[in-house]
Amino acid sequence: MKKRITRRVFIASTILAGTALALLPQGAKTPIFIEPFKVIGIVQDTLFPKGLKAPSASEFGATAYLANVSTHSSFWADDLKFLAYGAELLMEYENGFLTMNVEDRDKVLRDFTNNSEKGESWVSLVLFYTIEALLGDPIYDGNRDKIGWKWLGHNEGKPQPQKPFGELM
Amino acid sequence: MKYDVCIVGSGAGASGVAYVLANAGKKVMMLERGEFYHEKEFSKDEVAYCKRDIVTPNLKESYHTIEDLDNGKWVKTPTYVNESSFFNGNIVGGSSNFMSGYFHRLKPVDFKLKSTYGEIKGANIADWAIGYDELEPYYEKVERLVGVSGEVTPYEWHEPRSTKEFPYPPLDEHPISKLIDKSCKKLNIIAYKTPRAILSKSKEGRDSCYYSNYCGSYGCSSGAKGSARASLLQPALKTGNLTIITNAFVKKLAEKNAKVTEAIYVDTKTKQEHTIQASIFVVAGQAVESCRLLLNSKSKNFPNGLANNSNQVGKNLLFSAGGVGTGQFDADNMPIEELMVEGLFVNRSICDWYEIEDDNKKIKGGIIDFLFEHANPISKASKERWQDGKLVWGEELQDRLLKKFNTKQLNFEVFNDWLPTDNCFVSVDEKYKDIYGVPVANIRIGSHPHDIKVGKILARKAEKVMIEMGAKDVIWGISSYPPPNLQAGGCRFGDDPKTSVLNENCQAHEVSNLFITDGSFMPTGGSVTYTWTIYANSFRVGDIILELP
Repeated sequence: MKKRITRRVFIASTILAGTALALLPQGAKTPIFIEPFKVIGIVQDTLFPKGLKAPSASEFGATAYLANVSTHSSFWADDLKFLAYGAELLMEYENGFLTMNVEDRDKVLRDFTNNSEKGESWVSLVLFYTIEALLGDPIYDGNRDKIGWKWLGHNEGKPQPQKPFGELM
Repeated sequence: MKYDVCIVGSGAGASGVAYVLANAGKKVMMLERGEFYHEKEFSKDEVAYCKRDIVTPNLKESYHTIEDLDNGKWVKTPTYVNESSFFNGNIVGGSSNFMSGYFHRLKPVDFKLKSTYGEIKGANIADWAIGYDELEPYYEKVERLVGVSGEVTPYEWHEPRSTKEFPYPPLDEHPISKLIDKSCKKLNIIAYKTPRAILSKSKEGRDSCYYSNYCGSYGCSSGAKGSARASLLQPALKTGNLTIITNAFVKKLAEKNAKVTEAIYVDTKTKQEHTIQASIFVVAGQAVESCRLLLNSKSKNFPNGLANNSNQVGKNLLFSAGGVGTGQFDADNMPIEELMVEGLFVNRSICDWYEIEDDNKKIKGGIIDFLFEHANPISKASKERWQDGKLVWGEELQDRLLKKFNTKQLNFEVFNDWLPTDNCFVSVDEKYKDIYGVPVANIRIGSHPHDIKVGKILARKAEKVMIEMGAKDVIWGISSYPPPNLQAGGCRFGDDPKTSVLNENCQAHEVSNLFITDGSFMPTGGSVTYTWTIYANSFRVGDIILELP
């Protein structure tokens, strides 16, 4: 059966990373907790927006993919920590990021990568997993309806996996 | 129960021995660290097989330390720090499941490198304990049993053969192969059809190649690829004389009176320890891990590790020297529908420069293989997110991806000798242990500058072919960083117990019931991938064990 990410697992993975974000915007009296994956999802749509023919990160399921694969034992724990940490850094860099329009978000990300080595590494990592989601097998919840393969005219290898992560039958 | 033979590992070096002995009626026990995957379980899942540690140990469980020069000092870095695994396919059949199957025999000159070309300062070159003639019948046996497809043509650099033809005709070729031929002819270079350990027609229980376009790094779903599992272990299991225990990590070989008495292994699922008794033990866990097992098998008689009273175990480790070049092809080179055909093989090699001249002296050169960039879309696309050291995203990245997926990249790979030196070896260090409490292998990866010199000479030759073909953006790099999948040496064979671990039969000088049959025995590696030679030698040692009194 196809492995599906549940909301419970999704949240668990963010807790595993140990960095639910506590933000204290100007004027606020209590911290607001923002899940790193929410930040990452908006960054992914900024990095991979809807193009003339290209699907957007939300369309191909970039965040759902990441939430799914990051719960598997094969996912690099350091990457998970760094993904969450970077989301926190970005929010510290620009706490209005989540409510900005696409152009302004893009500008913030370019400044963020130009001004911070960690920022560049983080955006590179988010983009790396976004590309995995675009072109990995749909069994992992990305590349929905083979949309990434179809866009680039790529023919998938056969057989496709019946089970994720090379699990034995 | 006491087995006739216990084999540690199940890859190319293990399977030849197992096949010979099981078919001769010997009771054989094989211990494999990983799982047993069958054809139906393999898929072309890039995330699983190319991006995660699925068929190799999780690096938090087991790892290596890589010892590299840093500002003049040797510094050890565990592989989990930068996620660069030196494990290669820890499942039944080993890394042969994931090879591309570019198959080359060694040439007669490779067995006597020292006596042919002389010593090189700083290198520990030694002639082999046997010659090409002794291995030739076994190379031929590999062609038949493992299955090698190819074509014999008149050519001075083809190795002497005892049969006229390959048992399997060449695989179907991509139209670009004709362009390579035409360009080479113009340059007065001979390009020949690369032999492949891939069946071009079916063979008992194995289907022929179905040109999936996903070969190297993936398990074969038809059984066409000559993995140790598909070609030798599955038939050997049918004899009823071979037993394979999976998820069995062998941590130590116990010794008494200079003989191995038992293999002690941990079931990686239950974490329970077990032992296997046998009359003869064969170690074939790939060079690095085989050395590690011996070094960790300390006893009163062998305080430095099993068969290591001359301190030779782990020494003179070999990889394969060389590098990779790339060139881009598009509709300017040939009709796009021909260029973009998928699945067919390039299958061209050049070994006109297996011997070259340098300073008016003949020196050993190497070989060049041509192949397409792997189909893997994630790997292809990931590289496009960087341009001139800057991250690229948004519409710019999308445009780059569209261009990349409408271009075909032809690669050339250069293989030349990785000279054995004092700075390339395996050792163990009590400071670094796996989750079973066993010291991991430390790999010092120093290389000889001569390797880079030869690699560059060959790359410049291959570059000319690419340019003649009309390739765009031709670039290449020759690296001294070792390819983790091409390991040999570390327990070299030879006549002198002071300078070698094994005798010419691959039997330990100091431990008469211990044989090592992966690539560890090789004192020099030749300028080709090792798998064909490892298979051949494994068959040879299988015959030797059968003849033991």
